[in-house]
Amino acid sequence: MAIEGADIVKAAAFLGAGLAMGLGAIGPGIGEGMAAAKTCEAIGKNPKEAGLLTRTMLVGQAVSESTGIYSLVVALLLLFVV
Amino acid sequence: MAYDVQTWINLAAYVGGGLAMGLGAVGAAIGEGYTAAQANEALGQNPEMSGDVFKSMLVGQAIAESASIFALVIAILLLFVNPSAPSAITASSLFGAGLCMGLGAIGSGVGSGIPGGQACLGIVRQPAAAGKLTTNMLIGSAVCQTPAIFAMVVALVLIFIDYSNAPLFPTWAALIGAGLSMGLSAIGSGMGGGFAAGASCEGIARQPESAANVTTTMLVGQAVSQTPAIFGLLISFVLMFKSHEASTTLSASMALLGAGICMGFGGIGPGIGNGMAAEGAVRWVARNMSHAGELMRIMLVGQAVSQSTAIYAMVISLVLIFVL
Amino acid sequence: MNELGKIYQLLIPVGGHTMVFNLDAIIMSWLVIIILIVFGFFAARKKAMLPGSLQLMGELIVSKLFQLTEDALDEKLAPKYAPLIAATFMFMLLCNWIGMIPHLSEPTKDLNTPLSMGILGFVIAHHAGIKAKGFKVYAKAYFEPVFFMMPLNLIGEMAKIISISFRLFGNIMGGSIIILVVSYLVYNILLPPLLLAFFGLFVGAIQAFVFTMLTVVYISVQVK
Repeated sequence: MAIEGADIVKAAAFLGAGLAMGLGAIGPGIGEGMAAAKTCEAIGKNPKEAGLLTRTMLVGQAVSESTGIYSLVVALLLLFVV
Repeated sequence: MAYDVQTWINLAAYVGGGLAMGLGAVGAAIGEGYTAAQANEALGQNPEMSGDVFKSMLVGQAIAESASIFALVIAILLLFVNPSAPSAITASSLFGAGLCMGLGAIGSGVGSGIPGGQACLGIVRQPAAAGKLTTNMLIGSAVCQTPAIFAMVVALVLIFIDYSNAPLFPTWAALIGAGLSMGLSAIGSGMGGGFAAGASCEGIARQPESAANVTTTMLVGQAVSQTPAIFGLLISFVLMFKSHEASTTLSASMALLGAGICMGFGGIGPGIGNGMAAEGAVRWVARNMSHAGELMRIMLVGQAVSQSTAIYAMVISLVLIFVL
Repeated sequence: MNELGKIYQLLIPVGGHTMVFNLDAIIMSWLVIIILIVFGFFAARKKAMLPGSLQLMGELIVSKLFQLTEDALDEKLAPKYAPLIAATFMFMLLCNWIGMIPHLSEPTKDLNTPLSMGILGFVIAHHAGIKAKGFKVYAKAYFEPVFFMMPLNLIGEMAKIISISFRLFGNIMGGSIIILVVSYLVYNILLPPLLLAFFGLFVGAIQAFVFTMLTVVYISVQVK
């Protein structure tokens, strides 16, 4: 069974897309969890500032999410463009 | 050098069985070690409580052990299984089953050791709350087993379902992918559930009257931490039960394998992160009971955001399976 | 081992398609519904000041679940949703426990039962959200933080149905498969009753509670 070059490239792109999104999801997941944990701690200490803290948490999480979104973009590029 | 199909099946089954037990022992050993370490620390603080601490250490370890017992069952099945319709796909399904159970037992083993250890420390700190602590520890570490149970279900399906009519070429990758998807994504969820359960035992020891609130928050937090493992279960069900079109190209196989790898790795981070969020919320529900509802809501919002990367991974996996 | 994956199906052809019904799941869930109605009827028949044992049990269940709903939602909304929550919990609990009786099987072992309950909770939560906040504010939440995240937010919301129903299904199905396999391996000696106590009684109760709590929590997230 001879495997064509184009087939190998496509196979590598699919596997690469899976790896990119899979591994790329680890960091943001843990980081955003830490942010949420600390926000809960802060709200436990100072419930009056709950609104401010929630907003800050969401902004912080959105920033730490950006690497996850990069992985998503790279994975989609690998799947549909390359 | 040509081998017959039976040789390949035996090879896959034995390697899979070895991996199932070898990897499956990692988590439970770490978790039980943690429990024992905390129990010793507790005894150092108050040697008179040795009877109670010893008892709850053993109970905690017995539950933490169950993930590796699941792995043992699967490993034994793999060593002695006698497939009714042996074909080349059977080899890949048996290997996938071993991989799935081995990886899937790691997280639950580590996670369910944590509440046991915290319960031992808590009993010394607050002997009057020993009953509440033991109940909470049992519930917490039993819920931690859920990802391992999912992994066992996938492994059993892979062992017992007959794939001999399916086309070999993309299906072999789909079955290994199914194992990887469930096994890897169970790691994060198991550990995350353990963080939440540990914090709840600590919290109850600090503030025994908060037990009901703390247990409820812990259960919701653990349930949400399990979501990545559930996505992994979904992807591996799709990979196992969808009828794949025959195609000898390498790319068709790699798309299915890639889908499994993507969801598997993608579930690790969000599982751990959700567990941390739940840990923070549970800890502070115990200290500030009057704001329990608010804390639970913030926890859920934080977890929902931290889960989004697992959802991206699921989307990519589904695209790999259905679109390409 | 042949019992694994055996389902009694009822096939009804409808206009070129075949509708498949899992008879086991349907009959068992009707059985659960009948038991609940009979229990409710007898528990509420005589509302005495000094409650009998059935009335006491009913009052205990209802008051505990009302308390839970009140904690998660607020006092105004709790009376509206507490009956739903109490019914969900009792239905799920009995569904998970009924498999312990020989010759009966858990309807939750079929994915369709938890899935339909999950969709029910989902629709109610979103209806409550639209009613509480108005459609504009409700819809705006999907375009946060940036507008092009809308499809992903939508998928994330849909994933809640998957996670809530697969959690219950996976646990109950997993428990029953494990019991079947272990009983087969040890020739039904000693272990099965212990496993039944763990997976049937304990895990079944916890998962029913988790399902109910998540339904409340989904409503409370939408409302606030």
